[in-house]
Amino acid sequence: MSFRSPSILPGFGLTLGFATFFLSAIVLIPLAALVAKAGTMGWREFLEVLIDPRAVASYRLSFGASLLAATINAVFGFIIAWTLVRYDFPGRKLIDALIDMPFALPTAVSGIALTAVFAENGWLGQYLAPLGIKVAYTWVGIVVALTLIGLPFVVRSVQPALIEVQRDLEDAAETLGAGRFYVFRKIILPTVMPALLTGFAMALARAIGEYGSVIFIAGNLPMKTEITPLLIVIKLEQFDYTGAAALGFIMLVISFIMLLSINLLQTWGRRRLVAAGR
Amino acid sequence: MSIRLDQVTKRYQGAPVVNDVSLEVAEGEFFVLLGPSGSGKSTLLRAIAGLTGVDHGRIHLHGQDVTHVSARHRGVGLVFQNYALFKHMTVGENIEFALRVRRVKAAERLKRRRELLRLVALEGMDDRLPTQLSGGQQQRVAVARALAHKPQVLLLDEPFGALDAKIREELRRTIRQVQRELKITTVLVTHDQEEAFALADRIGVMNLGRLLETGRPDELYARPATRFVATFLGAANLLLAQQTPHGIRFGTTPVRAQPVDKVDSTREHEVVAVLRPEEVELAPSRDALQTNFIGNGIVEEIVFTGALERLRVRLAGSSEAQLVSTSADNQATNAVLEVTRTQHEQRAFPLSVQQGVAIGVRRIHVLPTPLSSYTACAATSEAAQRIVQHPFLTELAARMKTRITTRVEEGLAQSDPNKTAAERISGVAVIPAQGQTAQQAAWLFANGAGEVLILPAHTGLPQRVLIHWADDHARRSTLAVAASLLRNVPAEAIYLGIHPGAGDERRIAVRSLLDARTEAQAIHGLEMRTELHFGEAAEELRKQLSEGPEQMLILGISSIEQLQRDYASLFATPGNYSIMLVYRPSKESESTERTDTTRDAAQVSERAAAQL
Repeated sequence: MSFRSPSILPGFGLTLGFATFFLSAIVLIPLAALVAKAGTMGWREFLEVLIDPRAVASYRLSFGASLLAATINAVFGFIIAWTLVRYDFPGRKLIDALIDMPFALPTAVSGIALTAVFAENGWLGQYLAPLGIKVAYTWVGIVVALTLIGLPFVVRSVQPALIEVQRDLEDAAETLGAGRFYVFRKIILPTVMPALLTGFAMALARAIGEYGSVIFIAGNLPMKTEITPLLIVIKLEQFDYTGAAALGFIMLVISFIMLLSINLLQTWGRRRLVAAGR
Repeated sequence: MSIRLDQVTKRYQGAPVVNDVSLEVAEGEFFVLLGPSGSGKSTLLRAIAGLTGVDHGRIHLHGQDVTHVSARHRGVGLVFQNYALFKHMTVGENIEFALRVRRVKAAERLKRRRELLRLVALEGMDDRLPTQLSGGQQQRVAVARALAHKPQVLLLDEPFGALDAKIREELRRTIRQVQRELKITTVLVTHDQEEAFALADRIGVMNLGRLLETGRPDELYARPATRFVATFLGAANLLLAQQTPHGIRFGTTPVRAQPVDKVDSTREHEVVAVLRPEEVELAPSRDALQTNFIGNGIVEEIVFTGALERLRVRLAGSSEAQLVSTSADNQATNAVLEVTRTQHEQRAFPLSVQQGVAIGVRRIHVLPTPLSSYTACAATSEAAQRIVQHPFLTELAARMKTRITTRVEEGLAQSDPNKTAAERISGVAVIPAQGQTAQQAAWLFANGAGEVLILPAHTGLPQRVLIHWADDHARRSTLAVAASLLRNVPAEAIYLGIHPGAGDERRIAVRSLLDARTEAQAIHGLEMRTELHFGEAAEELRKQLSEGPEQMLILGISSIEQLQRDYASLFATPGNYSIMLVYRPSKESESTERTDTTRDAAQVSERAAAQL
């Protein structure tokens, strides 16, 4: 371990110490405790908890809904960021400020609000019900809640990247004969991609861990609308601590693999963008 | 013609950024659009590329009207100041972009890419990313990329702006070489006159959205037609001189000058002369001068710049020459002459600061502008001072880099025809608009003034300038004044043709309108729109002038009676518009003064005009 380069700010040793300490105290030690707790089980016991049909159904729902919500956010978050960056219209500042609201709102509040709106007799639910679309108390509702809480992540990470895309690039492409769609696909999207992936990853991570807003709108029917975090809480309430730890451990592993692959994808993309070894 | 622009106008929030620009660029020509920032040159280039729409006028590329064709279908190559390379693509991919869009086969793409990389001397750089290249190399890639689809027109927007001097020169040579090799019609935009000289077959100088002059670099440098071009292209001292039937005089000293056919030499009047720093001769005394003496001076500053020595010489108060301004300094009151001397001259006559010198001129060029300087005229000096401080006048004089003097004439109070001016009125006479205006103007004209500017108390620089003349005798000089004024004011120019009745006259009226436009364009380089009205002239003008704020009228007359007889109602109640009166006596009334030589000169100039 050595200094990378002489820095204006002194105290490399001190700051590294703090960084290690805080990461350990807040992230690593609790995670290690979780793994240790799960480790107290035997292999068979452990596997039984993991492949319990109810648990498997909850994985599918948790990760499936999170992926879907993050994807929806990537598309619409991009459009919102585009609108905010490229156009000036009355109320732009207001909308810009509203984007951050899901960050500040207690998740339980947003969950209750969404349930009220999308219930069969709610403001929007009453129009959707005759069409045969049930939102509240189904997996659709879960996706809606996860989309809400993940949106700001995408918008906020894409915005600065879009500002970077100079108009000149589009003008250049246009004079070279490219149509609008071609310009978007070949010029704008590749430039914004790393930021979009970051936003997607953050929205996904947030959605996987989300608990508060989902339990109100989900209805929590075992095998149907029960997410893994809820299952963990149920196990805790039954004093099945090791079972909860096992479920927590498997969520940790899957999440880690997903986030790591997104990060790798991003690094690969960035390496193409900024020359390696420069 | 490869590129043809026809009265192209582009407005931003009402104000014209590109104002009535007409231009033709020949096949294979390297044309440089030169102008200060904000002159509209880049906007014009974007309009040619199709990235900016135009509000008025037409754009033709190779005989095809492309005014409403989108940029992607115009087939032009555009190079930006900041390169605008696609950073996520390699050099090769950047260059092939236009070919990929057109679904050209891979083998052919590769061939073309190799060709282009050789052309810009970047062989073997195919797989680099733009961020791995230096600024100069990146711009080479941008040039290659812009040429990939074999455009018929190459447009370059300040391509050297972000590069340092040495790279700049190298790239300049490359671009010139590429242009010659491909014989591609090229338009380059820049604010750097040195760059323009180095590259251009022809230069067009823009200012305030107008294309002022076009011409070969050497022609424009030696014989500019406008103050702006004279001072923007290289350094220049602007001097006031007297044009007489016998030639140019500074005070009492006659000076050899190139005759300019656009300058009216039949009438004695003040003109603006351009004196390049290298055309100044310095000598210990008047007798030692080999050229025309124009005055004495004191050396104020000497700067050694290698091959040349730059001096600033303050003119002594008694000098024959009246300096208006130099390109380095817009202060009209400044009496410091810019001089450059070669090593040879330095050795022949070494100089030090504070030394007194005699100043001679080797060559001067007279600008064909009829507006030389402004003279605020009033019966009392307080009144004259008030005019001098009028914001309209100070702004106009500053923009024209000229001076304002005052003249107190008691004769103006009653406009007494029997009281004559102490001295001929020179320059544009300026008077306020009030009840007596018409009489005062008549008095000033009788005392030698050629132009009278009438200013109401509150008015700003005009946004719309209306042009009208009483009869054809006044046409030419009115157009000259209008052209001169509009080079300095970003306003729309409209010629109002007014005819008493409809019927058969209509055809003649329309023809005279078109003639006026053609003449304005061909001889004075003025683009103007034309409108035809029927009715009584003064009434019609008044109606048009009262339509909006900030308007100005340029009115040409050929006899003083016309002013009082036909246009009196314009002055009866002062409006909120300024009026520039142009008075040139018709040939008949001054035939006694005319000699055969001046008639010949007039014919020569008519012929020159016809050739234009």
